[in-house]
Amino acid sequence: MTEPRAGAIYDLGYRRYGGARLGRGHAIVSLYVHGLRSAFGLGRRTRAKIFPIGLIIFAIIPAFLQVAFGALTSEDIEVFRAEDYYGYINLALAVFAAVAAPELLGRDQRHRTLPLYFSRAFSRHDYALARLAAMVTAMFALTLLPQALLFVGNALAVDDFGGYFRDEWRQVGPIVASGVLVSAFFAATAMALAATVQRSMYAIISILGLFIVLSFALAPLLVNFVDNLAGRLGVFLSPFAVVDGFTRWLFGVEPGELAATADFAGGSYFLWALALSVLGCAFVVRRYGRKSL
Amino acid sequence: MPLIETDGLTKRYPGVTALDALDVSVEPGVVGLVGANGAGKSTLIKILLGLLPASAGRARVLDRDVAAEGAAIRQFTGYMPEHDCLPPDLSATEFVAHLARVSGLPRAAARERTAETLRHVGLFEERYREMGGYSTGMKQRVKLAQALVHDPRLVFLDEPTNGLDPAGREEMLDLVRRTGREFGIAILMASHLLGEIERVCDSLVVIDGGRLVRAGAIAEFTTGLGSLEVEVDGEADALAERLRGLGFEARGEGAIARVALNGAEPYDAIRDAIVALDMGLVRLEQRRQSLEDLFRADAEEEAAAP
Repeated sequence: MTEPRAGAIYDLGYRRYGGARLGRGHAIVSLYVHGLRSAFGLGRRTRAKIFPIGLIIFAIIPAFLQVAFGALTSEDIEVFRAEDYYGYINLALAVFAAVAAPELLGRDQRHRTLPLYFSRAFSRHDYALARLAAMVTAMFALTLLPQALLFVGNALAVDDFGGYFRDEWRQVGPIVASGVLVSAFFAATAMALAATVQRSMYAIISILGLFIVLSFALAPLLVNFVDNLAGRLGVFLSPFAVVDGFTRWLFGVEPGELAATADFAGGSYFLWALALSVLGCAFVVRRYGRKSL
Repeated sequence: MPLIETDGLTKRYPGVTALDALDVSVEPGVVGLVGANGAGKSTLIKILLGLLPASAGRARVLDRDVAAEGAAIRQFTGYMPEHDCLPPDLSATEFVAHLARVSGLPRAAARERTAETLRHVGLFEERYREMGGYSTGMKQRVKLAQALVHDPRLVFLDEPTNGLDPAGREEMLDLVRRTGREFGIAILMASHLLGEIERVCDSLVVIDGGRLVRAGAIAEFTTGLGSLEVEVDGEADALAERLRGLGFEARGEGAIARVALNGAEPYDAIRDAIVALDMGLVRLEQRRQSLEDLFRADAEEEAAAP
């Protein structure tokens, strides 16, 4: 040993680690939790939190208004209903997905952190799946959270809590099912685009641009002005119409305006959204499996 | 058991063969991987870590097959890439602790190991600041820390002194040497600077154009070599000729004569010869044959060969 240097009192040297190594599962969960936190900008500076938190508040406002309305007036009026809910906040969902997806995938590419992840004890597919799972879960904050608030709020607003629950418990199934599928649908499509477009600014613009152009321009044009099957099929190009279509189908209510014009069975929106979600996830996983570093 | 073993390892890119049927066996220790830029050093490391698939051939690391047991290998290896890989808006502590957890360490252990490892690489109060404001030296230290935080048995260091000033280079090499010698972690360090390798490593693998040139202990490369450089204020050629007449191996060029030191003791003879030739001695310097000289000589021989 060399003689101790000045300040060596602080130098405890390197110690070997003999503790537990929890392996792949732990690695995936760690990455998942980290992804979830970074989707909301947690553990980062305040600037990164403003957008996601703002969008969550925006998505919750209708539920909050409904609950407040129910609490202040004794009348049983439902302004915002569960099955219409995503119709009011679909832009917030799209913006959140467009901002969070490049955050989850793009950062590791931009800062070239991927080789550090891929040189650890899990596979590339594990990485992609952990990121996708984090994205879907993050979306829950804008889908299941306001729906839960709406449901519980309405139940508290009426005098008979148990009675409300008895009458409305059938809503729980559609609320959860639609919330999960809406989250998966937005997450998978946004992540597939974010995995393709490297620069986060371009990714945000292309995700948001695609959602808006397809939903507000292309699909309505096709459905309303092209009077044949091809035109009617255009409704499936609109993410917002698809979300509205399967949500209303799950709740068993009449389809929305565009879907009514297109006149397809409600279940077809459900299957289409499910297929796109699975395809989007598969695309991301496959892309990361082959990525050259 | 060899640390690393490759058998016909080949990596072809469109138009370029980065590794060309490489057969090499590396024993534990601090091993230098030397080659010019583009010799295939980074490619080899990436294949050994499973970051790149090989086009042909096989490789084993820590006695496990790279293609089949990549994740098992990576549990016990660390990697410090050549390029920047640190998110600028995170602190070193957060980033290294996160990677420690991803390496399989429980939360509390990850936090503890992060503090220890960052201290080991010489980051103290700075470790709570965002890494975007770090100097190159501090970034390199964080890169090394993340490669060591899960206490690997083997670390791959790709050009660890890249971009450092001479003092930073010195500190990094010292850190690498201590990590290898005192803590018993095997190291494969890629560098295009032979001088660095020579100072830190016990053994050496030289590749060029994706092929193995030589491999062995550093000592094997340099023993029995070395020379005296004699600078005079006259014709060194005449001095060299006189020394050759006395049975020494000597060569003169301009004002400098080089005398081989293969166990010979030419000092008195040089003094006498200079006196006899009525020259003045300007400088007498012992030059240990460095690896660079060796490879320069090799290259010259090769160029001379038909």
